[in-house]
Amino acid sequence: MSQQVATSNYHSLLLGARESIPLLGGYIPVAISFGLIALQSGFSSWEAVAISTLVYAGASQFLFVAMIASGAPLWFVVVMTLLINARHVVYGPNLAPWLSTSRLWPWLMHGLTDQIFALAHTRLPQLPSADRLGWFIGAMLVAWFSWIGGTAVGAIAGKELTQQWPLLGDVMPFALPALFLVLLAPRFTSWLWSLALGCTAVVALLFTLMGMTNAAIPVAAVAGAVVFFGMGALR
Amino acid sequence: MNSGMNIGVWVALLACALGTFLLRALPLVWMQRHLVQRKAKNTLESMPTWLSVLGPLMIAAMFGVSLVPGEAGLASWLATALGAMVTLLVWRWTRSLGWPVFVGVASYGVVIILANAIV
Repeated sequence: MSQQVATSNYHSLLLGARESIPLLGGYIPVAISFGLIALQSGFSSWEAVAISTLVYAGASQFLFVAMIASGAPLWFVVVMTLLINARHVVYGPNLAPWLSTSRLWPWLMHGLTDQIFALAHTRLPQLPSADRLGWFIGAMLVAWFSWIGGTAVGAIAGKELTQQWPLLGDVMPFALPALFLVLLAPRFTSWLWSLALGCTAVVALLFTLMGMTNAAIPVAAVAGAVVFFGMGALR
Repeated sequence: MNSGMNIGVWVALLACALGTFLLRALPLVWMQRHLVQRKAKNTLESMPTWLSVLGPLMIAAMFGVSLVPGEAGLASWLATALGAMVTLLVWRWTRSLGWPVFVGVASYGVVIILANAIV
């Protein structure tokens, strides 16, 4: 029996690891550029890797490095970093209905990035409850290690890499919108959801085009919610 | 900064790391307790509606943000449009996660390479 459970855990771990592979196309190039930028901002390779390991939140890490390099007050750096990451508060509660009572879950939330949330929000409800913990551990570890590894590669050899394969950095990040699209597609189940999701994506796109990337996700999500509840009330 | 991170920067880094972890973990703990207290038969109903609506909308917002190419230009927008269409088509065909992403990235790459060859 215990052997069966172990086999099931092993399989769900592998499944999670395999299903998070599409994330790597987006993670590794961005992590490489983070390593490179951290080094150029005066951090050592080990410090860049430490930032990626401990903070593990893309946009806020770039901000952290840039603000430290510019000599901003440290308390302000902390406040701004946490402000950017505040959107994460919505993710955990949205996964909660599908999680077991294992005490491991809160610790695993270190790996709850935007992309892992999107993946888990789609996949966890589809998996048998016994497989969810293993799946999440597999998925979050692959994503986390790729982020740490990419940072190390960027800090050590980022300049040579981007000079030798400039196209790779241009093409691979398309894996992220492609993955989000695949995760979103099954959610266009009614005209109300289609309208709300479409509006959200368009608002986020426009905000990003205007250079307000950090505000784009929360503002667009709130705009989508207004559409969802507004149109729902009109029905 | 060339002499490495001083103690103040390390403290700031640890504060950012701890704060980010708490932003991710505490709301989950709170919701798990909330769900246990309710002991609801249907778990979705015991979650506030606005919260369950916000989840998919956050994914849509991330999609919108990630659509903007790093170096915006005619070729990259064309590649984005074609890549998205191909991704969607392969998804409809396979209903899987990996293949649509792989083929979508490949078609995005083909457009970029072709555009570079032409210009």
